[in-house]
Amino acid sequence: MHAETLTRNEAIPLDVPALAMRGIGKRFPGVVALDGVDLTLMPGKVHALMGENGAGKSTLIKILAGVYGKDSGTIAIGGVETELKTPRDALKKGIKVVFQEIALISEFTVAENIFLEEYPRRADGSIAWKTIRAEAKALFDRIGFAVDPAARTGDLPVSQQQMVEIARALAHEAKIVVMDEPTSSLTPKEVELLFVVIRRLTALGIAVVYVSHKLDEVFEISDTVTVLRDGRHISTKPIGEHTHDSLIHDMIGRRIENLFPRSRTGSAGKVALSVEGLSTDTKLKDVSFEARAGEVLGFFGLMGAGRTELAKAIVGYDPIRTGRITIDGTALKPHDTRTAVSLGIGLLTEDRKLEGLMLELPVQQNMSLAALSSFAKAGFVDEGSERSAVQSFVDRFRVKTPSLFQPIKNLSGGNQQKVLLARWLMRGLKVIVVDEPTRGIDVGAKSEIFALIDRLAGEGLAVIMMTSEMPELLGLSDRIAVMAEGRLTATFSREEATQERILNAAIA
Amino acid sequence: MPQSPSLSASGSASPGLARILFRRSEIGLVVALLAVILFFALASDTFLTVRNLTNVLGQASLAMIAGVGVAIVFISGEVDVSVGSLVAAVAIPLITVMNATESLALGIAAALALGLCVGIVNGFLAAYLGINSLITTLGTLFILRGGVYLYTGQKAIPDDVMLESFFQLGNGRLFEVVPYPALIAFALLLVFAYVMRHRTFGRKVYAVGGNPEVARLAGYDVKRVKFTCFIISSLLATVSGILLASRLGSAVHVAGLGFEFQVVAAVVLGGVSLSGGVGSLFGAALGVLILSFLSNGLGMLDLATEWQLVITGFIIIAAVGFDEWKRRQP
Repeated sequence: MHAETLTRNEAIPLDVPALAMRGIGKRFPGVVALDGVDLTLMPGKVHALMGENGAGKSTLIKILAGVYGKDSGTIAIGGVETELKTPRDALKKGIKVVFQEIALISEFTVAENIFLEEYPRRADGSIAWKTIRAEAKALFDRIGFAVDPAARTGDLPVSQQQMVEIARALAHEAKIVVMDEPTSSLTPKEVELLFVVIRRLTALGIAVVYVSHKLDEVFEISDTVTVLRDGRHISTKPIGEHTHDSLIHDMIGRRIENLFPRSRTGSAGKVALSVEGLSTDTKLKDVSFEARAGEVLGFFGLMGAGRTELAKAIVGYDPIRTGRITIDGTALKPHDTRTAVSLGIGLLTEDRKLEGLMLELPVQQNMSLAALSSFAKAGFVDEGSERSAVQSFVDRFRVKTPSLFQPIKNLSGGNQQKVLLARWLMRGLKVIVVDEPTRGIDVGAKSEIFALIDRLAGEGLAVIMMTSEMPELLGLSDRIAVMAEGRLTATFSREEATQERILNAAIA
Repeated sequence: MPQSPSLSASGSASPGLARILFRRSEIGLVVALLAVILFFALASDTFLTVRNLTNVLGQASLAMIAGVGVAIVFISGEVDVSVGSLVAAVAIPLITVMNATESLALGIAAALALGLCVGIVNGFLAAYLGINSLITTLGTLFILRGGVYLYTGQKAIPDDVMLESFFQLGNGRLFEVVPYPALIAFALLLVFAYVMRHRTFGRKVYAVGGNPEVARLAGYDVKRVKFTCFIISSLLATVSGILLASRLGSAVHVAGLGFEFQVVAAVVLGGVSLSGGVGSLFGAALGVLILSFLSNGLGMLDLATEWQLVITGFIIIAAVGFDEWKRRQP
């Protein structure tokens, strides 16, 4: 586990797969996440793993990391069949996964984090701090990473924390390093440096799995590409046999079923929301668009493109640096959700549990939250009119709940989503922003949510829908805006939009 | 978000002197302690005498011993407020067994056995069953106090055998100067500070409190680490309880009322975060010393106890508020 082993490990034969996964299957309640997936990694090679959101990439690497157990299939490491029972187990067998969520203790020094799994110790059993610092330094020198091992980890930018994780893999003699969307928060310059490090890893005989959406990166760094789609293995080819188009084709490849009832006939009305030159400190760069009453404007983007950031900025949750947001002719002050709500814009958040629901409270309180003042007389809520308003929405939206007093945590995801939609409609909205409206919702409930969104637009609302699901984007939207790295890269009408065009704009 | 364009930017990582002072809250605490001592030394003639200073040390040592344990539980991301009743409860087996056997060692063993049991119960409920540790230990705080009242019938149990060794434990002084409890507190502080810094167990406690998920992925048994912390805390509170019983010369049913809050206040003042993963035992010990000297000094200025409480309250809020503000600075 020490730094001097950093030359290529001669014990690793280059012709035996570092890892061979065969027929891996994994089900979750109601979903088949993986169905007979194969993955073979060769030492010293970079293997890209691609697929749309929900294709099964995350599940596969979590199995590799020992986070999930597999339901079927076999895993062999260096030709020997094995089981990966726990994260610790996977690590001991030489597999290190660098997740997007950095797994470091931010209060600890960089050096200490490197040796977290196994502290070098002195003869008396106490921790050998000097060895830790010296070895961390030696390790960093080898991979050309000039950070102070004594720095507090939380003080480093994400890119450097990622390097610390990779260094940690080396300290534990990892034979397989998996990187999950490693460039999603890196600048182009940092990406170049990451690639330098990846090439050093492969020179040491380490097999690298590179999970990414970004075609250019995949063409630059990988030797082989495996594409997954809907939990199935689609293709594994040397990168040289792929073109941009063939890769995109492998990733999409499916027909879109008509899940999407479309009742609207009328054309869009006047401009309900206008955004001009919106930039934020976090992500967005010069975004401008308009949304009209009675239309569904879909926003597509891959992970990290800035959809959620845009959603939060236009409803006033997050501060904006420059730009102008106008709702129905009135300018919205940034970072002012109160005004936003009174002007008639509401957000259905991506994370229902964290930002939308009060889980322990009943359906009634959850639904009437935003409209509470309209039921109040002299500060007292008139429960009778509150209840009848809530009941009417429950009936209209066909919310399945035993009673209005049922704690909302007991409802299904689809019904929770309906309650949240009703919360905003009760206010009398002009614009509603929905962020990933069907995340974690089963297929049956999905079509009901789609019907609701369709109806809202039919009733004259401007609906802005952020989604990473291609079928739902194409099925529901009247117009489609595509984002990449915080910018708006293209806008298509319903007629112009094709999967290829959208994905090309998203990958730009 | 990355601010630094280069992976080799070590600028953001090199700690300047000001940064060290800012981060190392122990230094701020030492300055605060010296300031308290200086203030009262100037304000009162009797404060800065060897007798008074060693007296304060002796009194502070009970809170310091329990405080080390409570700080360890805090660092692991949990809370332990049961120590206030535990110091009273352990005196019962201690005195009863000594009365029956005339043996200090057996008495101490009986007290430690009770402390161990309480630690196991707290740790099992909070770490393994996942019941909120504030509630769990608040519960055991009530149960133990109620048990003490029931067992003693609201009276003190006197020490009938009056062993000299038992008396010396809490009241004796090394070379007639340094109180034994202060020596014991200091020794325990050093041992546990060493464990927290130089043994893997200590680092596990910090990791578990700092980010349990990361600790789990690194292969640590998060529950067992927390469980062990509760046991350490209860055993250390037992030591405080034994010393207190020696000072009081009996098992007193109302001993240690409010002691838990005194300890928690000092530990938090010492920079140990309630949310876990942050703080040091030296910081906690300094927090105890600051509050002890403060209350002693205010007493010497003839300030009523009521006002001492009010002032202490303000100081704790101000200190922790300042700490929070500091933490939020970029």
